[in-house]
Amino acid sequence: MLIKFTLNGDPVEVHLKSPDRLLVDVLREDLQLTGTKHGCGIGACGTCTVIIDGAPVSSCLQLAALCDGTHVRTVEGLDQAGVLHPVQQAFINKSAMQCGICIPGHVMQCVSLLEKNPNPTEAEIRESADSVYCRCTGYVKIIDAYREASALLKKAGKA
Amino acid sequence: MSTHHQKLRDPKFESGLLVVGKDVPRTDAQPKVTGASQYVADLHMPGMLYAAVLRSPHANARILSIDTSAARAMPGVKAVVTGEDTAKRKWGAFRPDLYPLAIGRVRYVGDEVAAVAATDPETARAAVDRIVVQYEPLPAVFSLDEAMAPGAPLVHDDAPGNVAHEFAFERGEVDAGFKASDVVVEGTWDSIRQWHSSLETIGCVAHWTNNRVTMWCNTQTPFLARGRYAVALGVPEAQVRVIQTEVGGGFGGKSGDDNCSVIAAILARKSGRPVKLIHTREEEFLASHPRMPMRYWVRLGFSKAGKVLAKEIRMWADNGAYTGKSQAILGAATVRHDALYKYPNARAKSTLVYTNLVPTGAFRGFGNPSADWAVEQAWDLAAEKLKIDVVDLLRMNAVEEGDVSPHNHKITSAELRQCIDKAADLIHWKEKRKSKKDGYGLGMGCSIHVNGRRSFGDWDGSSAIVRINEDGRATIITGEGEIGQGTLTVLRQIAAEELCMPYEDIDITRPDTDVHPHSLGALASRVTYVAGNAVKRAAAEAHKQLMAAAAEQFKKPVDELTIINGQIGPRKGAESEFKPISAVVRANIYKRGGEAIVGVGNWDNPSDFPDHSRYGNESGAYNFAAQAVEVEVDRGTGQVQLKEIAAVVDCGTVIHPSAAQGQVEGAVVQGIGLAMIEYFDWHQGTPTDPQYIDYPLPSADFVPKMHVAFADSYEPSGPFGAKGLGEIGLDAIPAAIANAISDAVGVRIYALPITAEKIHRALHPALYADEDKTPPAPPKGGVWSRLVTGRPSGVRPSQPELLQPKTLDEAVRFYAEGDTAIVSGGMSHAIRRERTGYPQAKRLMVVSRIAELLKIGIDNKGMLRVGAAVNQQTLFALPKLREQWAVLAESLDAAGHTRVRQMTTVGGSVGPLIGGFDLPVALVGVNGRVVTASPAGQKTWTLAEAFDKRLAKDEMIIAIEVDALPARSGSAFHKFLPRGVMETPSANAAATVTLDANGKCITARLVVGAVSWKPIIVDLSALTGSAFDEAKIRAAVQPVRNLAQPMSNVRGSAMYKRNMAVEIGARTLIRAWQRAAQQK
Repeated sequence: MLIKFTLNGDPVEVHLKSPDRLLVDVLREDLQLTGTKHGCGIGACGTCTVIIDGAPVSSCLQLAALCDGTHVRTVEGLDQAGVLHPVQQAFINKSAMQCGICIPGHVMQCVSLLEKNPNPTEAEIRESADSVYCRCTGYVKIIDAYREASALLKKAGKA
Repeated sequence: MSTHHQKLRDPKFESGLLVVGKDVPRTDAQPKVTGASQYVADLHMPGMLYAAVLRSPHANARILSIDTSAARAMPGVKAVVTGEDTAKRKWGAFRPDLYPLAIGRVRYVGDEVAAVAATDPETARAAVDRIVVQYEPLPAVFSLDEAMAPGAPLVHDDAPGNVAHEFAFERGEVDAGFKASDVVVEGTWDSIRQWHSSLETIGCVAHWTNNRVTMWCNTQTPFLARGRYAVALGVPEAQVRVIQTEVGGGFGGKSGDDNCSVIAAILARKSGRPVKLIHTREEEFLASHPRMPMRYWVRLGFSKAGKVLAKEIRMWADNGAYTGKSQAILGAATVRHDALYKYPNARAKSTLVYTNLVPTGAFRGFGNPSADWAVEQAWDLAAEKLKIDVVDLLRMNAVEEGDVSPHNHKITSAELRQCIDKAADLIHWKEKRKSKKDGYGLGMGCSIHVNGRRSFGDWDGSSAIVRINEDGRATIITGEGEIGQGTLTVLRQIAAEELCMPYEDIDITRPDTDVHPHSLGALASRVTYVAGNAVKRAAAEAHKQLMAAAAEQFKKPVDELTIINGQIGPRKGAESEFKPISAVVRANIYKRGGEAIVGVGNWDNPSDFPDHSRYGNESGAYNFAAQAVEVEVDRGTGQVQLKEIAAVVDCGTVIHPSAAQGQVEGAVVQGIGLAMIEYFDWHQGTPTDPQYIDYPLPSADFVPKMHVAFADSYEPSGPFGAKGLGEIGLDAIPAAIANAISDAVGVRIYALPITAEKIHRALHPALYADEDKTPPAPPKGGVWSRLVTGRPSGVRPSQPELLQPKTLDEAVRFYAEGDTAIVSGGMSHAIRRERTGYPQAKRLMVVSRIAELLKIGIDNKGMLRVGAAVNQQTLFALPKLREQWAVLAESLDAAGHTRVRQMTTVGGSVGPLIGGFDLPVALVGVNGRVVTASPAGQKTWTLAEAFDKRLAKDEMIIAIEVDALPARSGSAFHKFLPRGVMETPSANAAATVTLDANGKCITARLVVGAVSWKPIIVDLSALTGSAFDEAKIRAAVQPVRNLAQPMSNVRGSAMYKRNMAVEIGARTLIRAWQRAAQQK
């Protein structure tokens, strides 16, 4: 089965090994884009979050076949010509990472929130951050990073 | 306190340290936020094979035969191995008792039996299902009591009584101490297994070349792992090279006790190709080495004034089937706490007991959380009995600098009192004590931890090399490794400070046992203290060589030279007189007999190797913490809400403030998880659903207001005065929470986990008087079914067909043909169920592109109609939804996060007709309808009716309909999650109330879900015509208690759920009524 979609702005074609092949496997194995991580496989941990047509999605439960014709964005597509996305910069500024395995998921979740809602309330930030597990940080710095990202986006005139 | 560590070598230091104590950017930050970091699962090599493991479905069994022929015959399978392919050598950190693959016997559900390497992961997993093993099941022991019973079956034939290890001590005059005591308290506390649950599971890529194996491992301890893996493989250590990849979380779980890496190496040897083996999430639960549970009896004696006089412990620990590091954990859990307070006399006996359960091992805290769970609660009991505020009691007995514990632990720096005071201040202990609110409570707990521990021989040191290079940069060469705690950053800060060079000019290597000096790695909170000292020495040596070279080149004495911004020159010299470091280094090399600048630093922890009774100063320094917790307990449900936590740590000098805060914040939250979130159901020795569904982790919204602070402290033997802090933040949290609960409602919890149910039972014993005590039936579905049916991998037997109908008619026709599962949102039950072991349909039908199913709107009569393929987020975002049908909006809010709502559809939630799902319960709550379609045509009926009659096999839901609520109506939904994190509810409820102009009830409707196979509709006719009366409402809801038919599981016993069905039902109905009353 052949699918075509836009991945981080570039057109890609993928032959699916099986009709039930999942997006996370297409990204990590077929396309060798390992920035998207695999955490649980049941959509519970959020580590594998990517953005499809503007909406955050757990790529471990997403049938790749359904991505045909969509725009898929992963953590590898955030920086522009080597300049980090403000959300990435915010996570660095706030030391909002330890082991880092969940961070691509948190970053993508945060990007998806701020693109729709550049001035999230504290409750909206917590709701968003709540949807991705982190085993290391205790979330305090991740929530700080959300606030910082919102501020950096404003400063950059992107919001 | 802070002056004696300033360096006088350079005038810059007169005003303080340059880099130490600053929040410099983390070394690993950029690769981690861009996805560039290479974790072990990210590695790919030409010709690489993927591995899968066959695990024992029995807790104890003899293996009669293993037939691998069918697996070997599968195309793509390149190697199949069993115990016969191994060196048949037992291995383990302290008590070798584990084979890499079972030899003749399995001892727990998850024990490794055979493994496959194939060209892709799916083939490897499918091949595992084709290995046929004949077992002779043997009686097994599933608890300490069963294992210690006379004549109990033996887990290992060479461990009589199932005792894996035992030790005892008596220091001082314990009996005399108790005799002299005015107040004695005692109790027995039980702790539980907790999984590290790193979001990256254990894994390895192994490859043999020239008769040597290179293992890329996500290990915390590359050198210790190398030594143990060599034993397990039956080869000399020289044949094993371990390279540490990025480590996606360790916490003790990746410290070289895993069979996973060994099996990868065995498969790689047999296949001659690189092999990747990564634990699935399930395997991580089944077969990693979780925290060791303990039964901990403790007795403390005090003088009337509150001075501690004696302590006695009797402890039994559940080792599981194999030992790993549990022997050492037993020791730590027994002796460590004796250096926290000024105990004059202490006696203990501790026993490590084999069971047929998953083997336990090191987990952040290393036994101390279980010890603190008991002893810190015993101190709280003592405070009550002594009528002394616990803060004052702990303060009075806190250990101080210069103290020596009964085990000769030498306390060189201790700011425990400062920690206690700061924690009390931060949480406003005294003010809150004075004005205690009902249901609110305060608790405190303290802890002590080592900074490295002499465990693996008489050395707990570190070696480091620091080069200053001809490019002007410096490189730290160390094998200690980063596991996320900030090692790379902190060691660079230490080196930069010592070298007087900018932090940005310092590089650091990642561990490779072929390259680096021997290192013990990230365990025992040792890296900052032990490796920091080694790096500091190496940097000092390199700095000395650099300055000597400069002295020669400038023809000036060393003390007349200085380094400023990477340039060397005369003190007070003009800028033009300065030379770059690179020039000085280059000139020192490029001359006759020239030399590179390389400093070597060795540092051994000034500690003693403890004797057989654990006497000896384990560590050169100790860190301390005090933690204060405020809770609010809901008496109606037993649910505990954490209001605030103050965590204050004495870790000496803080080298990187935000990394240090992060260590404490993360540790506290793991402690919360241990205390009240992380547990699941067991059946016959195995967790019934080893996944994040039954075993959730603490998530962001659960985290209470946290105050993290550090004591003003300085450790003379630490690098720039620093000590470690990786573990200390976790240890006392469960006890502090339990103490706060006791303060709030007078209920003392003795066994982890702390559950709402335990508190509710203690508060309302009468509600449990008529409890049916029949043990629950064996679980159905999930991993359990797969294990017992011999299809452990869960892989599909064949590829499904994917149907993508364009019209509804086509979809109805396909569906009627049978064996078809509907897929729409993405997080479809069809996909999820298949991955968790439900029957697998041959065809997947995507309905998300059928225009008719995507319609959503409110018609001119105010009726809401939503197509089945509309995702829940779209419905949630519908303007007017919350205003018109609060019950629906609240059910969608409760159903999941935005991302989950995005991936789940209305039809997907309603279609399976599951009585606990949120949206269908809410829909029945407003007497909503479903539109169904089959080849016979379409039909509109109420969802309640659909629940009663079920759908025909060829019938699918295509839309839902909800009428506008009449004037003066209110509705509400409540999902009761006793653990406080997103999961399946213990009960949920939806209510709608319509009032007349006088506020009297016209109609009231209450639906309670998750406690029966269908939502329970409560007859509320008794309320018709009534004004608001809480007692009457509560009485009307009572019948739910007997209508409910809940199952006992991890979310509560059947009786608790019955009680909650009533309580949650009543609360929801009251809220709906109040909302109706607010309408005009």
